Amino acid sequence: MNHIINIGSQVKRGSAELAILSVLEDGPLHGYQIAKRIESQTQGLLRFNLASLYPLLYRMENLGWVKGTWERPAGGRRRRYYRLGPAGKRRLVPLREEWGRLFRALNCLAGVTHA
Amino acid sequence: MPDWRGVARRRLTPLALDAKREEEIITELAGHLKDLYEDAIRQGKSEVEALQLALSDAADWDELRREIQLAANEEVGMNYRVKTLWFPGACTIVLSGVILRLLQVSSAPAPHVIWPRHDTPLVVYWQWFLCLPLVGAIGAYWSRRAGGKLLERVLAVSFPVLGPMGLPMLILPFMLALQGIVHHSAPLVPAALLLLGWVVIPEAALLLGALPFLRPATAGGRWLAGLGRARSGWRRRSGLYPRGSSA
Repeated sequence: MNHIINIGSQVKRGSAELAILSVLEDGPLHGYQIAKRIESQTQGLLRFNLASLYPLLYRMENLGWVKGTWERPAGGRRRRYYRLGPAGKRRLVPLREEWGRLFRALNCLAGVTHA
Repeated sequence: MPDWRGVARRRLTPLALDAKREEEIITELAGHLKDLYEDAIRQGKSEVEALQLALSDAADWDELRREIQLAANEEVGMNYRVKTLWFPGACTIVLSGVILRLLQVSSAPAPHVIWPRHDTPLVVYWQWFLCLPLVGAIGAYWSRRAGGKLLERVLAVSFPVLGPMGLPMLILPFMLALQGIVHHSAPLVPAALLLLGWVVIPEAALLLGALPFLRPATAGGRWLAGLGRARSGWRRRSGLYPRGSSA
């Protein structure tokens, strides 16, 4: 049985930022796609809801990490697509390193291995 | 199909952002709710289950509204307390002060003076008291619009009382104690009348005006706009369907 980790209440903001930046690395996505992509890539372990996703996206947009633009794909409805900004690309590298170090430290301490 | 924009608007506004940004956020979140709903329908859930599932994605809409306001306003750099407490509080204190000063000019009607005791008058600026509900309403509305929680709204509304009277009220017990020591009698009745005329009644008047805005935003908005009219069916009550549409 999967224990869903509710981002925003149990995981620090940094991990949520890393998750969003990581999925956007592959290309632009709208908010719902970001949430679904993270959920599917973590086998349902990480789940964003409305309340945890959008405030964070707006903060990241203010910081210039992501950039949102309204687009209407062929046959679809108008949506706001987010893509990595230059600052987001720069931020992704140290974030990955920080979380890698954290998991290694936890592994040393308590035998926790990261996926 | 549920009116997701209507749902998002009712639950999230006022966001205290510029109109264009507010519309964008409502559209975006409405789209997310619609996606959730359509996914649930595709997975074989009933319409009602899908509606509930989509709506439950934001358990606390008031908190979501505050979070969005904070996130969207971060670039402005204005402190949350400044927007929700100090600005509305300064507004109420200035407004009430100006009104009181206007009433004190010679051409204004004199305040009502009651003599509960032969030596102790109670000055009642009833014209000022009548104006205070409006001042309270403005302060509470401003604070709520900026995303203020209940405590900030109440404090912002109470500035006209807390500001000028807060310091004297802090000093008063010491003055009374000193008076009691020197003259062997503390003027409790004058102090109580002072408190009544300048703190208790004004505060009550301010809070009376603020009352509609001390409720959660959507409820207050509906109450004010007179939209709290009865609607048939739980879907209409929850605002999921616009008037005239078939459920």
